[in-house]
Amino acid sequence: MNEPLDLHLQELRRGTVVLACLQLLRAPGYGYGLLEDLERHGFATDANTLYPLLRRLEKQGFLSSEWNTDEARPRKFYRTSPEGEHLANTLTTEWSALTGAIRSLTDDPTPAEEN
Amino acid sequence: MPTLTERYIDATTSSLPQDSQADVRAELEASIADALDDRLAQGEDPAAAERAVLMDLGDPAALAAQYADRPLHLLGPRYYLAWRRLLRQLLSFVPAIAVGGAALGQTLSGAEVGEIIGGSISTGLTAALHVVFWVTLIFVVLERQGTDLGQGWDPDQLAEPRPTGSERSDVVGSAVLGILMIGAALWDRFRGFVWTDGEGMAVLHPQLWPWGILGMAMLLALEVGIAVAAYAGRGWTVRLAVLNTVLGMIWLSAVLTLLGNGLLVNPELATVASSEGVVAPDTLRVVAIIVVVSVLVTTAWDIADGWRKVRHGARR
Repeated sequence: MNEPLDLHLQELRRGTVVLACLQLLRAPGYGYGLLEDLERHGFATDANTLYPLLRRLEKQGFLSSEWNTDEARPRKFYRTSPEGEHLANTLTTEWSALTGAIRSLTDDPTPAEEN
Repeated sequence: MPTLTERYIDATTSSLPQDSQADVRAELEASIADALDDRLAQGEDPAAAERAVLMDLGDPAALAAQYADRPLHLLGPRYYLAWRRLLRQLLSFVPAIAVGGAALGQTLSGAEVGEIIGGSISTGLTAALHVVFWVTLIFVVLERQGTDLGQGWDPDQLAEPRPTGSERSDVVGSAVLGILMIGAALWDRFRGFVWTDGEGMAVLHPQLWPWGILGMAMLLALEVGIAVAAYAGRGWTVRLAVLNTVLGMIWLSAVLTLLGNGLLVNPELATVASSEGVVAPDTLRVVAIIVVVSVLVTTAWDIADGWRKVRHGARR
């Protein structure tokens, strides 16, 4: 167990869960189902982080929700709202820019001093 | 008997705002049931599976705090520095004032030395404790209310090197000296510094009470006032030095006049001292001369110190 390493990884991953949720919930989904989807996509998240996060995003208007009572077990379904889609696009663009920026740190042949 | 899951959900939702309780409860029920089904499908023992699901969710108090967006700390980084700054400021003088006040009060009511020291220290500790407690409580409430303290930071707040003699320690020093001298005078009046036959006797002349002592207290208060003015005005000015000189002259002439007219020292003291053969009459004269010289020297030094600080400040 390497504690500083884990902390840095945790810090880097913070915020990616929000983006992943907004992208996945372009199609409606519910708490536990989303938790499994996130894990399948490589965004391992704790249930006690995800459930309050969904409510917070709903409160901020990035998700809308609806109770589905058609099945035996009523579930609250969330869906990314138009503002949420806008946020998801912005965050995705930012993520791509960061990916490029990080790559330039190692690939860029021009030394930093010349800039 | 409610199941563990029901108890868990109760524990989580009970502290949430009324309007969101039912919704969180229903959602949490479904989420826990989903997770439980998943584990049961993998052939886990039902009781162990339920425990595992709840363990994954963790402490219900922490989960409730996340739902309600409540901080999981007493004071966060937004308020910590303002809290520490205020606390330091208050602790720099409130306990000292409490100690001084308690000591004065107990001396006036004629308490024993041990009682005075013990009582003053415990009063100071209590005052410090109150300051810490109430300031912290206020900040905890402010944090929960999300109050904006409006305290930004800009480079103007960096501490300036202060001109000589205008530091806070000068103010504190002259205040402490003043309180000590007044305390000594009161002690002398009510308890007596000299002990003969188990009874206290005052060193100062009884007729100095109360007007002489009051005059001394006023001079000391003015002296503290000068230190405060130098501190607030960031340095000694010529006017302050003049005032300091005048005060010094008044002090000097008052002491010398009183001494010359036999109004400074308790006359009984000389009688008692010589009649008991403790000291020769000559010794009393020597003591008087020492008093005169030391009053002269300290006053001259104080006056010169004022002017030195003026010059020092002007050169900067």
